[in-house]
Parts: sequence; structure tokens; C-alpha cells
Amino acid sequence: MRSLIAKTAEKLYRDCSVVQGRVGIAAQDDVMLSEGAPDLSRLAADVLSRLSCLGVVAASPSLPFASYLLRRSNADAKAIVPLDTETRTFLHDIPIVRREELSRDPAGAIAAHLSKRKGVIAEGVGIVASGPVTLEQAYIHYSSVFHAAFVKYLLDALQAGFVLPGEAEAFRSFRDTFLQPLTAEGLPFRPGPLDAPEEVLAEIRAVGRYTVLRGLVDSFFGNISYRVGDTIFISQTAASLDELAGCIDPVPTDNRSTTGITASSELLAHRRIYEATGARAILHGHPKFAVAMSMLCDVKDCPVKDCWKDCTRVRMLGDTPIVAGEIGAGGLAVRVPPVIGGPGKAIVYGHGVFAIGRDGFEEAFRSMVDVENRCREEYFRRLDARTERQSKSE
Amino acid sequence: MLVVDLSSGRMRREEIPPELLRAYLGGRGLGVRLLRGRHTLSPFDPAMPVVFAVGPLCGTPAPTSARLSVVSRSPLTGTVYDCSAGGRFAWRLRAAGLFAILIEGKSPRPVALAVSSAGEELLPADALWGKGVGETVRALSDRGSVATIGPAGENGVLFSNILMGEGNAVGRGGLGAVLGRKNLKAVTVDGDLRIPVADRERFDRARADVLRLFRASPVIFGELGISEYGTPALVDLMRQRRMAPTENFRRTVFEDSSAYSGPAIRAAYGAKKEGCYGCPIRCKKRASDERPLPEYETVSHFGALNAISDLHSIVRSNDACNDLGMDTISAAATLSAWGEARGRFPAAEEIGPLLHDIAHRRGEGDLLAEGSRRVAEALGKPELSMSVKSLELPAYDPRGAYGMALAYATSNRGGCHLRAYPISHEILRKPVASDRFSFSGKARMIKIAEDTNAAVDSLVACKFAFFGASLEEYAELLSGVTGEPRTPQGLKKIGERIWLTERFYNARNGFTRADDDLPTRFFTEAGSSGEGIDVPPIDRARFGEELTKYYRIRGLRDDGSFPDDGFLERQP
Repeated sequence: MRSLIAKTAEKLYRDCSVVQGRVGIAAQDDVMLSEGAPDLSRLAADVLSRLSCLGVVAASPSLPFASYLLRRSNADAKAIVPLDTETRTFLHDIPIVRREELSRDPAGAIAAHLSKRKGVIAEGVGIVASGPVTLEQAYIHYSSVFHAAFVKYLLDALQAGFVLPGEAEAFRSFRDTFLQPLTAEGLPFRPGPLDAPEEVLAEIRAVGRYTVLRGLVDSFFGNISYRVGDTIFISQTAASLDELAGCIDPVPTDNRSTTGITASSELLAHRRIYEATGARAILHGHPKFAVAMSMLCDVKDCPVKDCWKDCTRVRMLGDTPIVAGEIGAGGLAVRVPPVIGGPGKAIVYGHGVFAIGRDGFEEAFRSMVDVENRCREEYFRRLDARTERQSKSE
Repeated sequence: MLVVDLSSGRMRREEIPPELLRAYLGGRGLGVRLLRGRHTLSPFDPAMPVVFAVGPLCGTPAPTSARLSVVSRSPLTGTVYDCSAGGRFAWRLRAAGLFAILIEGKSPRPVALAVSSAGEELLPADALWGKGVGETVRALSDRGSVATIGPAGENGVLFSNILMGEGNAVGRGGLGAVLGRKNLKAVTVDGDLRIPVADRERFDRARADVLRLFRASPVIFGELGISEYGTPALVDLMRQRRMAPTENFRRTVFEDSSAYSGPAIRAAYGAKKEGCYGCPIRCKKRASDERPLPEYETVSHFGALNAISDLHSIVRSNDACNDLGMDTISAAATLSAWGEARGRFPAAEEIGPLLHDIAHRRGEGDLLAEGSRRVAEALGKPELSMSVKSLELPAYDPRGAYGMALAYATSNRGGCHLRAYPISHEILRKPVASDRFSFSGKARMIKIAEDTNAAVDSLVACKFAFFGASLEEYAELLSGVTGEPRTPQGLKKIGERIWLTERFYNARNGFTRADDDLPTRFFTEAGSSGEGIDVPPIDRARFGEELTKYYRIRGLRDDGSFPDDGFLERQP
């Protein structure tokens, strides 16, 4: 169990979602174990002792966005409701626990919220998340809350500007220091087409690692596949993209075997994309600026209310099409394949980016990086324009 | 609740105290609670009740919740026993204004209990005695949904089922024989009451969340998932994971398993989708001639476990068990143990006649009707019964999934995969994957899953729903239906109470740590290693260590016993 705690902490540091030294992790088997910053590990253990769960992560996020969302919300708000697909599908909403609620029995207050939801934002503490089945689940839930808060804050800041003391300065620091240039340079790719299964598996494992390394996914969600003849090699559902050894399913395209029942929930989308485009490689990630930008729409008085699943329009962000559609057996497997062939990339509303490679993964990876960079640029262009308008009006 | 005394023929409707429903929910939990005070009676004692109980979500549009649990004490295992079943019966019972039926006593003659919203009556059933399930269901079909026993239940086969008219079974532990001993051939239910939902907006929001999670789950709605292929979708996966029990668990790979895989069944029988009432998943499959097609456990045990690759033979075995009213897992596993003991597994063409002999207790069938433990003991080879607490193990070899190994041992109803269902995370990666060849953390995982599933069985929802959704969404559904706020943690607490009550009953009936064990074969013989997957024997010391941890997490002594005798008195 101690090695699992150490691994969880390492993952949190590696994906840059926590402040150095501000992580507390608790896990229980027949005894309670906790590690990390004394105050946070004590809190994590106290929370865990009140839940029927395997583990709890309590950490200070590396960015103040979750805290800002809490402070920007109405005083009577009990939760924030990000509208990205991950939140809609898995988190539903994110409870917020204010300082006054934490004053007497912080662990009790947090545990009460975690008894209903997977992760919470606690004022002055950070993000606290539970893992009902495994400790890794607590990491996933932490990361999902971090991701959802990130995306929602980008959108809120664009819509309402900076309203809290120090917010503009903190955002400038995020923009100038935290965000690193996103590039595919320095990453070796095997030139395609690839035919030998061992080579395919090795390349999928490598590109999965690159995707996590470059922060193009939240927690480890996302998926990746390569087609050789009548077999699709695809990452398994809930597989960590940076740990794909043994987690890639070979799925025959004629469905003569159901071994691929454990394949990614996006298997159908991958299959349809291969059928529609003749591509050999598909990469799907959740880069944050692309997710945020896909949710901005200029249409006024639109009759569609549930845009994320019901919008039938193909919008363009530069040369990248944006379509709506639910994940899994929902609509994205219908809407992505017809639009991705030409540009080689597509964004799914509030969800993420699909990118294809005609022969190998380099083209797909570079496309995804390119989409995210363009979305970053467009986001900051709009934010700067907004800030300028605000300054003039003041 | 309807209370039926078959000895006197008296029936009465009475209120279930609301505090019991809050503390036990319904279904399995309510049934287990209602056994209190009679839990040490013999399963065949006329005073031993059989409880049919729905859950609080039944009759509403809550996905996968048109189910009920049947609870009593098993004549096969001697443990407290429950089984959940879907179909149409449960919602019609609820629509008849009932949450539960408690049946006690013994009728002097065969009868059928007919229930509707207008009332209930006992019908003479002499003419139905001896009839198969199909004929009985047809004879009673004008009275609504039918639950009936077949000849196996009438003749006291220890693994006889209660079959629903739609093809769903109250399976495994022999509750069909308990009804048979009471001379109760069938129960019919019909009703037209609507079930209110207290907070419609909250309910609808939770329902939408559940359905979205179903669509996001490859196991449920993926193109290779159970909605498309039914549970036989697991055949290829278990083969690939090298944990398909073969030849009475001597091996873990059956080279010909693709003969009865999901795609093979679809190709051979034109499998059509069918579901329990209101279920969006529709995992049941029917042949073009309307016959219910077999589940994963059935094809694997009538297939690999008996070294048979003839799909049509397997389907015929399923048909026979359904009509005779027998559990397919225990029937096939008993035949397999018997086959190994005599040095030859039964051939495909021998299976059908043997099943009929078992149901009618003819010839060798009389011994086989007692289940694999008693068969193996009678033949002087007790080690060949692949069972836990006398319940035959299903089609997941524990050498390929260590959480499953622990869960088989700790299950309150014996060797069952559904109590903790660790296949969900060890194999199907839901909600996350765990290391199937490691015991690390499994004691608590199994404990939490047992509590969770006790709550699920009391709601009563289908376990397959939890390949996508979780108690988080189902607690919201329950809050919407009742108007009382519920949390997943609160439901797990209820599940823990139910689980401990069951274990306490079992302890009073003589079950100890020695019964929480696996057949020796799993600790001494390797499975079928290959293709880069090593399937060694389970490390007995490590297994024992994890079992001790499990007891500690449960608040039990290291020998698995309760620290004091007052557990029941402290429960509502």
C-alpha cells in the first residue's frame, strides 16, 4: 500500500497539478496509512476514516482556479457545475466547502460532501477526492476536478473578467510562467506504416506516454489506436495512457471475437473513423484550451439547449471542425468521422480532440499539439480583447 | 406485505414498519431481516419462510430496477440465501400494491398463489404438479406474471430454481425445492397501480445521469458489450485471460470456446435483444424461435467445464434446465465433478438424459440431485467438488483473479461471483482496473463491494448497471423516489448491516472460518499458463493473510467469529 501511495504522489507531481510539498494521501487496508504534508495527510486520513473507501487525496492545486471559482460563486452556492463532458458524465457537479463550514470539524464537513460526490473544493485547503475502489481512483477524481475547474475558469474569466484581488496577476503568472510552450519537438516517432504487432504495441505505448507528458489529457483519460489489416489495436477502457503495457486490445474489425469488450469506450468512434478516412492511427486527448474553446458559440437565440449532444452544426475553429456528441454509445461516433478526414483533426464539444495519422502517429500527435496551440492563441486573443474593452470602459 | 400461511390457507396484508424499510431498503435486506428469529430452522421446516421482496425503485422508471429478491435458507448450502431476478414479475407485484410476500407453512395439497390488486387466493394446482415450467407458465398466463417451479423443485433437487415466465431464474441455492416442499407450485402476480415519485425533477436528473453513464460504458453499450451479445460476450475475454474453468477446473483454457462465444451464438441462433421490464440494456437474448438463449456461466460450464464444444448441445442443456427448473451452473458443475470422479466427463449426448434423471431423481440422478459436494463425498473424492460452502463455483477461475478468490471464500451464500463481483475491476476495468494477480488491498475492496452489492440487491437494481453507474447516481434515484435524502455512503452502511446479519445467521448455523475456504486444487495445481500469462496456484499463506485482514476490517475476530453474541439485538 505504501508503494501505491508513493506512486500516486509521483503522478500528481508529474502532471503538475499540485503545489510541491502540498499533498496528503491516505489509504486503508486493515490499517490506515497516510503520507505527505503533515496537515494534509492528517486531513486525508481523518476524512478517510469516515468513509467506506480505499483512499483519499487532499492537495493544494498548482493553480488557484478552483479556489477562484469557489470565491467567485454566489454565497449560497453549494457546488460549481462545469459543463465539460467529463464533469457532466462522471462528476455531475463539484461541491464547494466554505471556510466557515470547515471551521469546527473540517474532516467531517469534507467527508459529508464526499459521501455524495467524488471530489470537492475546500476553501483554504484545495481539492479533496476519494477512491471508493482503489487509491488510483482518488488520483483520477482529483485530476478530473482539477481539469474541470481549469476549463470552467478559462471560460468564466473570458466571460466575466477578473473580479477578485490579485486574480489578474495570478492569471498573468499562469500565462507567462506555468504554461510551457507546447511542442512535439524532441519526441521520436516511428515512421509508418507499421505492420508488425510488436512494433505497433511499442509505438502506441510510446505515444501514450507523450500524450500524458505534454499534458494533453486529464488524469489519464484519452485513448489511442492503430489499425493493421483487419485488426484495431486500441487502448483499454480506463487505461493510463502512460502505462499501456498489457493494456492494449487487438480487436478484429469484423467482430468475430468479443475480447475487445474491455477496449476504450470510444472503440466505435475509432472504427468509424478508420472506415471513413482510411487512416492508420488515431489519437484522442482532452487538451484544456481546445475543450474550453469548443464550448464558445456565437449563435444567438439558438433553439438547441443541450448543445454538447444535440447541436448538429459543424463549427470551425480555424481549420479544425467542432462537432457535438456524447461519448461512448452516444453521438460522437456518428458526427466525428464525416468531418475528420480532410483536416485530419476534429474537436468534440466540451470533450476533446481526435487526430488521425495516415501512416503513423507523428501526424496525429502534431495535429493535436497544433490544435491546442491554436486554441491557446485564440483564447488569449479573445481574453486580451476583452481586457482591453474593460480597461477602456473604466 | 402479504403474509401467506400455506398450512392453514390464511392470508393477510400487513404494513411493513417504515423504520425497517429505511434500515433495510427492501429486496435482499428486507428478506434477511424478516427471517430473523427463524434463521436457524431447517430449510425444509414448514415454518421457514420464503420471502419475495421488491425494492423501493421497483415500478418507477429507475433503470434496471424492475427486480425482486427471493430470500430463505438454502437446502444446498445451509446458509441464508437470496437471489435477485428480473423479468416482469417484480413490477407486477409492486403494481398489485405489495412490497413483499412472506410465505410460510406447508399446504396439504399442491397449490398456486394468485395475487392481484383486487386480492389474493390459493388455487388448486394438482393438475400442474409434475408439469414443466413452460407448460405451467402457459396454463397460468391469464393471471399475469408467473413464477413457478418445475419437476426439479417438486422432487427436492438441491439446486432447483424458481423460474419466471419470461425466462429469468431465481437461481442457485435450491429455493425451488423449498417451494416444492411447501407444495407451492407457482405464484402469479398482476396489478395496475402506479408507483409515485416524490421529487420528479431530482429523479429525472439522476436517471439522465445513469443513462449517460450506461452509454459511456463499453461493457454495457459498447459494440462488443452485453447489450449486443449478452453475457456470452465474456467467453472470448475469459479465454484470452486464461481463466475459463475447464474440465472441472483442471485447466483454465478451453481451446474450442469460440464455438459458443457471443458472436457464435448470434450467428447460429439469430439472437434478438430482450430485457427485463423497462431496462435499457436488454442483455437477455432470445433465439428466432423465442427460446431464451444461455448466459455466459451456462455456456462455459456446459461447455468447457465438461469439455463440450457443441453449441446446440449446450443450448439444449439450457432449455432442459429452464423447463425442469434447475440451476445451470450447479447442474453442469455437479456433472463435471462426477465426470472427473469416474474418470470420464459426460458426452454431449448424455447430458440431456442425465438432466432429466436429476430432476426426477431417477437412477444416478438421485445422487446428482444432491449437488457436487455430496456427490464427491459419496464417491470418496470430496476434493473434486469445486464448491465453497457446497455452492458450485461459477465460470471465473480464482487462480486468474485473486479478489475473486477471496470473494468466493467470504460470500455468505457460498461460491458465488455476484456478492462482491470483483470481475468488474479485475477483468472488466470498471470503475477502474485492479491487479488481478495481487492480493494487495483486496480485503477492503471485497468488503466494500460486498456492502455495496448488498445495498444494490436491496434497492433492487441489476449488478450490470454498475458497469457504468454507481451508488452515487442510485442514491439520487432513491432520494427522488422517496423524497428522503440518501447518500452512497449511507447505502453502503445499510449494506454492511445486511451483510453482517447474514454472516451472523450463518455463524448460528455452524459456519466458521473453515468454511471460508477454496477447494484445495486452487492452492496446489497451476492453471493453464501461456501466451505470456502465468497462472500459478494461489499462495495459501497469502490467501490466509488477506482473509484475516478481511475479518479485521469487518470487525470480526481473526477466526471469523463475532466478538459478542449481541449483534442482532443492536440492529433495527
